[in-house]
Amino acid sequence: MAKRPPIANRVKQLREAHDGMSQAALAKEIGVTRQTVIAIEQGRYSPSLESAFRIARVFGVGLEDVFSWDEAQDS
Amino acid sequence: MSFREKTAWGMGLILIVAGAWYFSKIVSVSSALGHTSPPDLRFFIGYVTLVVITSIIVNVVLAIMSGQEANAPVDEREKAILDKAGHWSGYVLAVGAFGGLWHFGWLGDGNLLFHIIFGALMLSQIAEYAFQIFLYRRGV
Repeated sequence: MAKRPPIANRVKQLREAHDGMSQAALAKEIGVTRQTVIAIEQGRYSPSLESAFRIARVFGVGLEDVFSWDEAQDS
Repeated sequence: MSFREKTAWGMGLILIVAGAWYFSKIVSVSSALGHTSPPDLRFFIGYVTLVVITSIIVNVVLAIMSGQEANAPVDEREKAILDKAGHWSGYVLAVGAFGGLWHFGWLGDGNLLFHIIFGALMLSQIAEYAFQIFLYRRGV
């Protein structure tokens, strides 16, 4: 089984707090497919630095407000 | 399920069915001859035609069903999946090729070498789609 990246994120919470923005709308904003947004939210994929910045910019927050290092997953 | 994952399922199944058809013909001819069948252009053309026609049909149907998603360019995650699956499938092809050469070194059967190499090509392509499906589902 593929190892999950040790990076947690709050994309789903931020999306829902952002007027319930849909996964498709976020995907369009950052230039990826909806499945990639789903994979990011489920922690199955860590986006590139560029996409990470794009996500943070969509929500108007800093990068570390969206992504954080997951110590438990890392150990 | 994304358009590209559906495509991987479709192409994988097509290659399995076409490969099974091809090798069933080779095995039946080999049994009749009592030795390994030489490469047969009719079966080869039949295999290629079957794969090309069915893959066009499957891709067109999936594209119609998926709408705009089918026209979307490959994104960064999909590119990583395609790269990794292609890399892993290269090992399958290499193992098959070395297996064929090893057999040829021992048995000196050029016909068998052809079938093993051709089978390795088929298998590596099937493996590539299987790896893609695995990575789409489990993460890359």
